[in-house]
Amino acid sequence: MRIALMLVLALFAASAQAQFGNFLKNIDPGKILETGKKLVEANKEYTQEEEIQLGQGLTAGLLGGAPLHKDERLQRYVNRVGRWVALHSERPDLPWSFGVIDVDTINAFAMPGGMIVISNGLLKKLQSESELAGALAHEVAHVVQKHQLKAIQSGQLSDVAQTVATEYANQRIAGGGASAAGKVLGTAAAGVGIGVLKDGFLVKPLDRDKEFEADKMGIVLAARAGYDPYGLVAVLQMLAQIKGGDEAGILSTHPSPNDRIAELEKVMPALDKYAGQSLDARFRQVVAK
Amino acid sequence: MRWRPFLLAVFLAAAPGFAFAQEQAFTNRSTELKDRGANDAKTIATLPENTAVKVVQRGGGWTKVEGGGQSGWVRAFHLRFPATVETSSSGGGMLGGLTGGLFGGKTRQATTATVGIRGLSAEDFKNANPDAGALAKMESFRVDKAGAQAFAREAKLSSVSINYLMEEAVQSSSGRRR
Repeated sequence: MRIALMLVLALFAASAQAQFGNFLKNIDPGKILETGKKLVEANKEYTQEEEIQLGQGLTAGLLGGAPLHKDERLQRYVNRVGRWVALHSERPDLPWSFGVIDVDTINAFAMPGGMIVISNGLLKKLQSESELAGALAHEVAHVVQKHQLKAIQSGQLSDVAQTVATEYANQRIAGGGASAAGKVLGTAAAGVGIGVLKDGFLVKPLDRDKEFEADKMGIVLAARAGYDPYGLVAVLQMLAQIKGGDEAGILSTHPSPNDRIAELEKVMPALDKYAGQSLDARFRQVVAK
Repeated sequence: MRWRPFLLAVFLAAAPGFAFAQEQAFTNRSTELKDRGANDAKTIATLPENTAVKVVQRGGGWTKVEGGGQSGWVRAFHLRFPATVETSSSGGGMLGGLTGGLFGGKTRQATTATVGIRGLSAEDFKNANPDAGALAKMESFRVDKAGAQAFAREAKLSSVSINYLMEEAVQSSSGRRR
């Protein structure tokens, strides 16, 4: 396997020199091989720092295709709700960061390392802070369980080869690593993130069981944070009313909302004694419909 | 009496922020309609399976509904919601059965659908150039622990200790593999 990868990388290094011309003129093909080897090793185990860089790479790629919402008050509000929920998880100290993208498609994404993106389309469909907390808690649970990280780690070697390509292509964008974010994007792990994003990682479904698990953990995380745990159920009932058709939407990558509701009903009665808050007024103050 | 629903429709169209979807739902089993959202509340009626109701309000595990001239609370899990909302620009996007026609075309969903959706497709991901500036911008909105705690205190959100509702242990933050 490893030899095959090295061959791919060596071929890539040769063709890349031709493709990227000036940009790669000074890059030693041997260095690319070296990076490729590291990535193979990284496939076995990511440090927390690399996990975060991977998520940052994915997020930078996602934001390259979908603009951040311009309402800074909205961005801070979502960060406050999300961080409060995440503080009740098993990974409270990750650099949790939440972003609202200004697209109408209804979706939310969890990236390794604690970067979570929610679409304005989904946000506008919600009616209370507890529903937002429920949706974010589902994503926080994915990060806690490292669902996305494990899916990337078990990916095909061709992805890794692609990744090296994008990593080097990236150095153009990173602007020589002048900014902190630019520097992050120059790391091998961020390159993996950008590579898997281009391979369609965010439009591929996770295993159904992982979605059900994130739902079951999500209701508990929301309840721990003092929210009405039925917020997530309300979100799923809203999703159940949406007809398909949005290609990259939440319905194309998740089990049917009705199946998710049925799974939650099996465990939910245990939470009925925790009457959390819904906070619809505070939500409406910030989220314009 | 006729002017009332008309005014309501106008109000909903003018103030979409308050246009709480009059969601159409059906009971997914025979269930009791209660006078408030609690197990020990008085039972007003027993609704047979597939009774059409409109959602008025949500509260914990209970949902306030109206239907057949009655109003009361049923268990949230005892409702099913038909897929009636179009989101894609190609769909035409009237709300149809969702609002029984009264508010059709006057709500947020319909507006979005007729305007056309600013979507996010697999192609967008494939063609995206990583945006370091946007990443930095997003990270600038980060809230620290103290900030999150102060935000929770403002709304009197308090932490509760609850175990997960499943057998599998949650992976610890140390990165240990099961």
